[in-house]
Amino acid sequence: MAEFTTFEHDVLVIGAGGAGLRAAIEASACGCRVGLVCKSLLGKAHTVMAEGGMAAALANVDERDGWRVHFADTMRGGQYLNNWRMAELHAKEAPDRVRELESWGAVFDRTKEGRILQRNFGGHQYPRLAHVGDRTGLEMIRTLQDHGIHQGIDVHMEVTVVTLLKDGQRIAGALGYDRERGRFRLYRAGAVILATGGIGKAFKVTSNSWEYTGDGHALAYDAGADLKDMEFVQFHPTGMVWPLSVRGILVTEGVRGEGGVLRNSEGRRFMFDDIPDLYKNQTADNEEEGWRYVIGDKNARRPPELLTRDHVARCIVREIKAGRGSPHGGVYLDIGWIKEKISNAEEHIKKKLPSMHHQFKQLAGVDITREPMEVGPTTHYVMGGIDVDGDTQMSTVPGLFAAGECAAGLHGANRLGGNSLSDLVVFGKRAGEYAAKFAKEHGQPTVDQGQADDAMRDSLAPFDRAAESGAENPYEIQHTLQDLMQNNVGIVRNEEEMAAALDGIAKLRGRAKHASAHGHREYNPGWHTCVDLNNLLTVAEGVARSALERTESRGAHFREDHPEKVSDWGQWNLILRKGTDGAMQIERRRIAERPAELTTIIEEMK
Amino acid sequence: MTSPTPVSQDSAKHELGAERSVYFRIKRCDGPGKATRWERFKVKVTRGEGANVLACLERIAANPVTADGAKTTPVVWDAGCLEEVCGACTMNVNGKVRQACSCLIDTCAPNDGDEVVLEPMQKFPIVRDLWVDRSRMFETLKRVKAWTPIDGLYATGPGPKETPERQQERYIYSTCMTCGCCLEACPQFQQEPDASKWDTSFVGANAIGQVQLFNEHPTAKELAPERLDAMTAAGGVSECGNAQNCVKVCPKEIPLTDAIAAVGRAATIHGIKRFFQGK
Repeated sequence: MAEFTTFEHDVLVIGAGGAGLRAAIEASACGCRVGLVCKSLLGKAHTVMAEGGMAAALANVDERDGWRVHFADTMRGGQYLNNWRMAELHAKEAPDRVRELESWGAVFDRTKEGRILQRNFGGHQYPRLAHVGDRTGLEMIRTLQDHGIHQGIDVHMEVTVVTLLKDGQRIAGALGYDRERGRFRLYRAGAVILATGGIGKAFKVTSNSWEYTGDGHALAYDAGADLKDMEFVQFHPTGMVWPLSVRGILVTEGVRGEGGVLRNSEGRRFMFDDIPDLYKNQTADNEEEGWRYVIGDKNARRPPELLTRDHVARCIVREIKAGRGSPHGGVYLDIGWIKEKISNAEEHIKKKLPSMHHQFKQLAGVDITREPMEVGPTTHYVMGGIDVDGDTQMSTVPGLFAAGECAAGLHGANRLGGNSLSDLVVFGKRAGEYAAKFAKEHGQPTVDQGQADDAMRDSLAPFDRAAESGAENPYEIQHTLQDLMQNNVGIVRNEEEMAAALDGIAKLRGRAKHASAHGHREYNPGWHTCVDLNNLLTVAEGVARSALERTESRGAHFREDHPEKVSDWGQWNLILRKGTDGAMQIERRRIAERPAELTTIIEEMK
Repeated sequence: MTSPTPVSQDSAKHELGAERSVYFRIKRCDGPGKATRWERFKVKVTRGEGANVLACLERIAANPVTADGAKTTPVVWDAGCLEEVCGACTMNVNGKVRQACSCLIDTCAPNDGDEVVLEPMQKFPIVRDLWVDRSRMFETLKRVKAWTPIDGLYATGPGPKETPERQQERYIYSTCMTCGCCLEACPQFQQEPDASKWDTSFVGANAIGQVQLFNEHPTAKELAPERLDAMTAAGGVSECGNAQNCVKVCPKEIPLTDAIAAVGRAATIHGIKRFFQGK
C-alpha cells in the first residue's frame, strides 16, 4: 500500500477561509492541538473576494436597530426555512464578533463620531453592514490570519483532503495528500471541523474561486452526514461576462446602490417593466424618483435595480433570452450616466467604488466612469449544506462539525447580502469551541488502517486507468457537468430539464469511473481534477434532486412550472443522505417548532 | 416613462479582432534543488478577447507542446481570486514582479509575434515552475508580532473611537495581501535557504508596514515596544538600503517608504530609551 505520514491533532479544521481560521483560533484558545488544512496558500481563501461588508446590529448609524430586527430580516429573507436558532444566535452574537475583529486589528470605516460605520444593503431594514471600503473580506482574512499564526496552530498548506475517517459512528480524522508532491497524509483527530465553502465550480459561470468544488459537502455526505436545503443556490445578478477570461467575476451590488442602472441593447431600463406586487409600494416607478433615492431622499422609493437578487437575475435572463442582450450575452450596467446628474461624477465613482473601477480597468480595459459594463448572472453562494445543530454546529455524525458556507441553516431559502461574513465568525467560533469540548470529552479515536488504504487506492486509481482503452479526460467530464448544471438547474428551472440533468449526472458518474491521470503524483492538475470530480458530481446531484423535489418557487429556487410559493412547503426542509446501497436518498423533514417569543418578534416586524 | 438612451460602447475594444500568436518564454524547474531550463510556447490569442497571462497558461496546460513541437509537461503556477485581491499568482512578467491575473495580453504583448517572459519570484524557494513557497512571510509576521495578544476574556465594550481621517491613514497599510512583490524587488532582502537565519535576516517592507499598522492600533500598540525591539535588532528597519523599489512595485500602492521612515524614527527613539534603561 501507498505510504503516508501521520499527524496527531485534537481538532482538525479543513478550510482556512473566515470560518476555518476563526474556528482554529477558538479551538486553540481552548487549549487544543489544532491542525488547519487548506488547499491553497494561507490567506488566499475565497473569503478575500467578499466586498460589501458584514451584517451586525451594532446600531451605530441607526439606533432603532437591534438583534430582533436583524433576526426578523434574516428570517424574512430566508422565507422562514431558516434554522431559527442559528438566525437568533447570529443576530445576537454578530456585534461581538465585529468588535472582536476590530480589537484584533481590522480597520473598519468610521462614522463622523468615530464609531464603526454601517452601510445599507438589500433586505436589511437599517444600515447594518460594517465594512472596509469594498474589500471587507480581505480585511477579515488578514486580521484572522495575523491572529491565527501567533497561536501555535499547525498549518498544512496546499493539501487536499480526500476522505474523512471514522471510528465506529464517530469521526476519527481525515486522509489527504499534499498537492505539491502527492504524498499522503493521515490526520488523526478527536474532532473535525469542515469549513470548505461552497460549490460554485459545479456551474459554468461563477464568482467563486477554483477551490469551491463542494469538498466539505461531499466529504460529510460520504461520511454519512445529512445535507439540507441543497436546492437553494444564489445567483448574483451582476457578474462580468466579458472578457471571457474573467467571466463570472462579481460586480458588487454597491454599483447599483450608487446609482448604476441596468439597460438592454435598446437602451431601455427594463427593470421598470416587472416590479413584483409585494414590492410595488417600496419601489420607484420612474427614473426621477429612483435617482432621488440614490442621493438620499428619505421620501423617495428605491429604484427597481435594487429589488432582490433572485428577481433582478431573472429579469436579466428574460432580456437576454428575448434577444435584447449585449453582444457577449449579458446586459449593460451603467454607472457613468450619473455625470448627467452630478458634476464630479468621475471622482465620485472612483471614491465610492475603487475596487470596481480598478477591476474593470485592469481586467477588462473598461473605464466604468465612461463606458457601461456588460454583466450577467453568476453562481454566487449555496444556502444549502451540511445539516448542523444550531448551538454546537455538530453534524449528524458525532465529532464532525461544519461552519460557514458549507453548513446549512442560517440563510434558509435566500441569503441576505452581508450575512455571510458575519456567519463565518459567529459560527466559526462556535464550531471551534464545541469541537474542542467534544475532543476533550471523548479523547483520541482509533484509526482504521483499512479505511485509509481504501481511500489511497481509490485516489490513485486514475493513474492505473491511464492505459485503459476507455480512459476519460477529467477536464472534459468537468466541463460537461458545468454546462449541464448551468443550462438545466440554473436560475429558471423546470421538471423536464432537471430530470434530464439527473440522467446526465448519472452518465457522467459512470464516465468519471474511467477518469484518468497521466504521469506521476508530483503536482499533477489532471489528477487533482479527477479527485474533485466525485465532490462536484455529488453536490450537483444534490442540487438537482432537491430542486426537482421542491414543487414550488421560493427564495432563490424558481420553477417556471410551479411559479408560486406554496405555503405548505414552508414547513419542510429537504434532507439528502447516502443510502446503504450508495444511492442518494431524499426526505422531507418538518421544521422544528419555533419558541413563541421568536414568532412574536417575526409577527411584530412584519 | 423611460427615455431610451443609446448605449455607448467603444465598439473597437469590445469586438473580436484578428487571431494572433504570442510567444511565452517560461523559466521552468521541476522542483527544489533541480536544474532550471527555459521553454518557449506559442499561444493563440484573439485581439479584444481580454486574455490575461493566466488564461494563456491554461491554454499551455491544455496542450503542453513547446513552440518547436516538443511534448512537455504542463507549466505549474498558483492562483486564487483572479481579480488581483489575493496575490497568489505573483510572478515576474517581462522582468517586473506583479500579479499575473491582472496582466492583459493585449497590453503586455500588443503585436503579433510578441514575446512574454515569465519567471518565478527569485526571493522565495521554488516549489515548481512559477510556484514558490512564501511561508517565510508568515514567520516574519510572527517575528515582528503583527497581532493583538488578547483572548476571549478581553471585554471589547463598545470599542474604541477613531476619526475617519485617522482610519484612512491606517487603512492603506491594512490592504497588504502578503503577495511578496516588495520583497522580490528589494535589493536588501535575499533568499535564505537556512531557516535558522530567518530571524536575523532583513524583514522586508511588508513586515515594516504591518509594524506601522499595529503600532498605531488602539489596542495593539501595547506591544509596540516589543515590535520596536525586533525593528532595532539584526535584520530590522535600519538594514533598509533606501532603494525605494518596494513602493514602486506594490500593487496596492501602500506607502511603504512612509512606513519605513515612521518605524525607523520610532525605532531610533526606542533604542535611545532602551540604552538609558540599560537594556
